Amino acid sequence: MSGIALYHWEPNANSGKPMLALMEKGVSFDSHYIDMLQFDQHKPGYLAINPQGTIPAMTHSGAWGTRVLTESTAIMEYVNEEFAGPALMPADPRDRWRIRWWMKFMDQWLGPSFSMIGWNVFVGPMVRQRDPAELDAAIERIPLPERRVAWRKAISGQFGEAEMAESRRRVALGIGLLEQELGKRAYVGSDQYSLADINIFNSTYSLPLSQPDLAGKDRTPNIMRWLKRVYQREAVQKTWAMGRTDLAHRYSLIMEGID
Amino acid sequence: MGAVLYHGEPNGASLTVLAALAEAGAETGGEAALGITCRPIDLLAGERHRIPGLSERVALDMGIEGEGPVLVIDGEAMTESVFLAQYIDELAGGAGLQPADSHAHWEMMMWCRQITERLSPAAALLGNLASSQAEIAAIGAADFAGITASIPSDDLRQRWQALHDGTIDAAQVADSEAKVAQAVARCEGQLADGRDWLMGVYSIADIVTFSWLAGMELLRPEAFAAAPKTTAWLARVQARPAVAAALARATVSEPLRAWAPGPEINRWG
Repeated sequence: MSGIALYHWEPNANSGKPMLALMEKGVSFDSHYIDMLQFDQHKPGYLAINPQGTIPAMTHSGAWGTRVLTESTAIMEYVNEEFAGPALMPADPRDRWRIRWWMKFMDQWLGPSFSMIGWNVFVGPMVRQRDPAELDAAIERIPLPERRVAWRKAISGQFGEAEMAESRRRVALGIGLLEQELGKRAYVGSDQYSLADINIFNSTYSLPLSQPDLAGKDRTPNIMRWLKRVYQREAVQKTWAMGRTDLAHRYSLIMEGID
Repeated sequence: MGAVLYHGEPNGASLTVLAALAEAGAETGGEAALGITCRPIDLLAGERHRIPGLSERVALDMGIEGEGPVLVIDGEAMTESVFLAQYIDELAGGAGLQPADSHAHWEMMMWCRQITERLSPAAALLGNLASSQAEIAAIGAADFAGITASIPSDDLRQRWQALHDGTIDAAQVADSEAKVAQAVARCEGQLADGRDWLMGVYSIADIVTFSWLAGMELLRPEAFAAAPKTTAWLARVQARPAVAAALARATVSEPLRAWAPGPEINRWG
């Protein structure tokens, strides 16, 4: 046994990153599905694992006791270094720099804009059907003040127009930059499949459906070719089979439709 | 052609890379052994956006660190100071600036991300208000328009504009002061067991944290009043020969008071 337990939501965005990295390395793990839309991540059982109430989190038990690891990109680097299996970082220092650069660009510049749009059109409307008092209590249990603000905005649909416009601007620009990058190299940042591909794939595979005006076979052929190549990996198929909603199935139909 | 590191005064992001280079250079028999030449530029004159001979510039144009150093190799612009420090360490074949153990390495990367995501924007905002704002505001209209026109990133250009126009409000200042205080408390907690360095062994975490926090000790000494272990640690880092060598590259008398527009405040939790 690997001693790994992963606390995750759907094979998507941040949760999808360590799921896919573990699959690629061939590391078995105990899967604990945390239903974000039921606020499982802010309930006492999970807060005992990760007091910040963010998902995903991973525990690794061994002779040293139990380590708790958070932050999806850093977890992926840990998984890659700790376990045997295919290397998910190239050896060349400049390629490694470029992969880290793209992951930061996604995690801290482009990803937050994807999230804001996704929460505004998907998470907020899904959750706001519930009893307001129950929602209020759920929000009050969120440990990080910034996350409380984000959830309140998502649920009440209070993202400002300027905020949303800025997010849309960044998404359009970011897609364009990714398209250029994938015209230079086979994969993101290098010619080898790496953590950067896992990271960015998990936040972009929905683009043909969610941003059809910005991404598609005519506008972004390099992205589409890369999405299909990553989608066809056995580890992606296994990871997507772990989803409990129909999201992965819907996206798989899109992927199958790419030439 | 060898690599060229374009850098500002040794503070913040530029200090991180210069100190890492000096550490790695000491391990490998001098910076020249790594093939990297240092070239100072005037960040407040917008020189970073006029680096010649670039064929691949996305990391310069869209880097989120703000006016940090740029390493140019074969026409490719490389940015983000933590990753440049890692690059230099790895180029040197492992200069000892990153823990070899994967869990310790995870801790170091987590620490550096917390610092660059939370402390760096706060320190840059307070530092710029104290030092560079007057200089930026004094730039003539035509010259300022030339600088902003050369900045491809809309959000970085807006941070220049906010300093120029003096539109940073009290809430942003208070938020930044709180984040500096949180970073000091975090350091004090990490050093509580009597360790010399943040990760136990000296690493990029010490270099990065020192680079953004040392200037705050000058600007907001009250934030350090109840943090004796942190102030002692700052002094230990500053006494390292490589950090001293990096600081000695300054062209001003107090480089830890020299700032340029930095990273943006996180927009989404």
